[in-house]
Amino acid sequence: MITHLKNCKIIDPAHKKEGVVEDIYIRNGKIINKPSADEKITQTYDLTGKIVMAGAIDMHSHIGGGKVNIARMMLPEFRHESRNYTEPEAHICTPNCSHNATPTTTEIGFKYIEMGYTAAFEPAILPINARQAHLEMADVPLIDKGGYAMLGNDDYFLRMLTAKQDQKAINDYVAWILHATQAIGIKVVNPGGISDFKFNKRKLDLDENHSFYHVSPRDILKSLSRAVQELGIAKPLHVHCNNLGVAGNFETTLNTMGASDGVPMHLTHIQFHSYGLEGDKKFSSAAAQIAEALNKNKHITADVGQILFGQTVTASGDSMMQHLNSRFASPKKSVIMDIECDAGCGVVPFKYRDQNYVNALQWAIGLELFLTVEDPWRIFLTTDHPNGAPFTCYPHLIRLLMDKTFRDEAFAKLNLDAQAMSNLTSINREYSLYEIATMTRAGAAKLIGLNDRGHLGVGAGADITVYTDQADREAMFSKPDFVFKDGELVVKNGKVVKVTWGKTHTAKPNFDTSVEKGLKQYFDKYHTIQLDNFKISDDELASYSNAD
Amino acid sequence: MSANIQPPPFTCPACGLLCDDITPVNNTCAKSVAFFSQRLDDASPKINGKKVSLLEAITAAAQILKSSQNPLFAGLSTDIAGFKSIEHLAQKTGGSLTHMNAQSMVRNLKVLQSSGWQTTTLTEVKNRADFIVCIGTDIVSHNPRFFERFVDAEGMFVKQREVVYLGAAHAPAGPSSLPCRADALPEVLAVLHALVLGKTLKAKQVGGIAVGELQALADKLKAAKYAVLAWVAKDLDFKHAELAIEKITQIVATLTQTTRAAGLPLGGSDGDTSANNIHTWRNSAILEDGLEANIHASVGDAIVWINSFNAEKLPPKTDLPLIVLGNANSQLVQTPVVFIPIATPGLDCNGTLFRVDGSVILPLKKVRESTLPTLSEIMRQIENALFNTNQE
Repeated sequence: MITHLKNCKIIDPAHKKEGVVEDIYIRNGKIINKPSADEKITQTYDLTGKIVMAGAIDMHSHIGGGKVNIARMMLPEFRHESRNYTEPEAHICTPNCSHNATPTTTEIGFKYIEMGYTAAFEPAILPINARQAHLEMADVPLIDKGGYAMLGNDDYFLRMLTAKQDQKAINDYVAWILHATQAIGIKVVNPGGISDFKFNKRKLDLDENHSFYHVSPRDILKSLSRAVQELGIAKPLHVHCNNLGVAGNFETTLNTMGASDGVPMHLTHIQFHSYGLEGDKKFSSAAAQIAEALNKNKHITADVGQILFGQTVTASGDSMMQHLNSRFASPKKSVIMDIECDAGCGVVPFKYRDQNYVNALQWAIGLELFLTVEDPWRIFLTTDHPNGAPFTCYPHLIRLLMDKTFRDEAFAKLNLDAQAMSNLTSINREYSLYEIATMTRAGAAKLIGLNDRGHLGVGAGADITVYTDQADREAMFSKPDFVFKDGELVVKNGKVVKVTWGKTHTAKPNFDTSVEKGLKQYFDKYHTIQLDNFKISDDELASYSNAD
Repeated sequence: MSANIQPPPFTCPACGLLCDDITPVNNTCAKSVAFFSQRLDDASPKINGKKVSLLEAITAAAQILKSSQNPLFAGLSTDIAGFKSIEHLAQKTGGSLTHMNAQSMVRNLKVLQSSGWQTTTLTEVKNRADFIVCIGTDIVSHNPRFFERFVDAEGMFVKQREVVYLGAAHAPAGPSSLPCRADALPEVLAVLHALVLGKTLKAKQVGGIAVGELQALADKLKAAKYAVLAWVAKDLDFKHAELAIEKITQIVATLTQTTRAAGLPLGGSDGDTSANNIHTWRNSAILEDGLEANIHASVGDAIVWINSFNAEKLPPKTDLPLIVLGNANSQLVQTPVVFIPIATPGLDCNGTLFRVDGSVILPLKKVRESTLPTLSEIMRQIENALFNTNQE
């Protein structure tokens, strides 16, 4: 069984291929060398003139777990709205936007694969809630999945840090968490802040001590980033900085870049952390400072968390900041939770409006960041789904990056005060297809450590997206001609033609199992479940799968 | 699916707490003892009360579903895998779903959908809660080990705690109890909220409680470091009970302006939290209320009743063709057309369930030898019988 993709115009940044015309051969779900003449080709697709890329990878999208499901429960009106949405919000929405910030598990898989995405990663798995996250993601068809486990606000870790346990002990705990939660990376959200909120603190700065544990967010970042590095897992510590959404927070973000002493870190949804205090409204773009620092600090990567206008819901582990943000909820309701001495969550529906000064500027700040960060291998295309916008808006976002005229036209319709505070129209950069492929494929795979994804070399999993080259990049990226998942044709003309079930990617570094001694004591004394029940085994994870 | 018997400790699905420290020798909870000592006598499938083979029962169930346009899958007392299999068959047969606890569950969800809330979970309660108000409930009638496990236990950040009962019918008598009728709770809680907001009231009493006592309660709530306001939706069984829950969430929101406080919805069992969660992620919609409503409105033309966990949870009286996929010991009042005994997750087979606080999902173990089929196996066989009939 060999599938032959003929005359592909290949964009494959992992192999520095930009538009070279080649053939691709697939056998058993993998890309293979050109077979010998006596091997039978079962299927041939003539892709003359078509753009061929690896399947795209969303490295940060809230697709499974408690807070996503709370959003679904809390917002029945979203189902209604998404079905009857007739008036696009201003200029920004198109027929391709589903306007559904709370898609079902099935819709998540379908919408992603129909845009040519073949993997997505849930960035905020509460370790105690990992079973739910995996159960939900198991119900997401077609795409591959994985997630990052949240640490840094759990009492077990904070006790270790306060007790000045050595780095090896921390490393063993972090590795144990990766195994127990079946995650591929580690995330920290508002380091120390979620925990301190439970002690009635409302704001925690990078160098301010936690009111109970007397360790600072900087200490937490240092310890966790080092653990991740020393364990040898690919994905750098995923950092949601302190002070999300606060005017003037760019200084926290700049200082956070230096908190790991050069150890790699990934700063997520950095748009929400790039706000200055300039202007009459004391809210301004600090994208220039952040981009300059990102360009300089090669150990830092970031994703943007672009906002796009319309109704969405913000679902975050950051209970401290979400409690503060709940006064802006629209519709007016929210859920804030403290969870199991492990973490927390905050779910706040939100409507971004292009005539609102702050929202309009947020939109511009995201784009300024995309366009002024120079290295597409270190900046990633996200809307922090659903927080900035549903992931279904990606084709629109790609057009904004690739088409200056389109971008400037959109900008001209924004709140006028916001326009006056942004230099967006003075930026001439237009992303190339090669740069888009870097951000959404090669770079994302490299960041997470998916060696056989994100590229089209021999040995890669045959996750392949085929596009018609169109001047309207939104139309192009909305509707691939074909998508192959592990070598199987699953999308034709932008519609799913076959349902398959992707796999879950994990990282399993070695560790000293004696770490469980201390954990067992802690669980028996303070927790409310057995230590053994906290852990998800490989067999259990496999049992969730809907695949035959 | 004949997995091996697993060693203790076991997880107990008899109430929403899912205590997972159960061993046969240490079990002090009457509910749990009753669950684990369920007998396994007559486990035969039946048609109209007469013993038949499993195949005959499956065929008869499929026949009923085949001639039905809109079967109502009710009860839905099962674990995650079981619920998934129900949903699958319901979709294939155009069926609707209603859980036996939907009415009380929806009381909570109505508030979630109108205002949202701030809540906490059991490990936070154990380690932080210094003041607990049990509203309209003694809790232990539903969750017998609540105090033993989470209140009387040592906490990481709390040395002393105080517990107060407000309008709780079975509360222990004494100064910590402020009794009132359940249906007076919305009014009582509205007054408590006003007092927490710092308002002065002309009224001297509300719902039989002196306003001075509520003032003292408000002061304690404000002084607490981490107050927990707990309720059990099933005990708030009066018209517009959601108003009481809404007031609780408002009190919590007001307290959180200056100190920390959280709501804690308790109760839960028969897989209600699990069913609602799965239904929500698969449909972006909650599992709606309505067994009584559906039956009175004649929604459905056949009923499939599922009670895996508890032999006493019986289907409502109905004139419609009734299929029961139930606990092997079900003492049915009305003889169903088809009865198929199924494995009880956590007893006869492994399983997975959500705890009542919604964030913790725990594995259930097979604890005894049993040949009973799981609900998913039965559902798969019914589906095969329904859609592959031409193979015969």
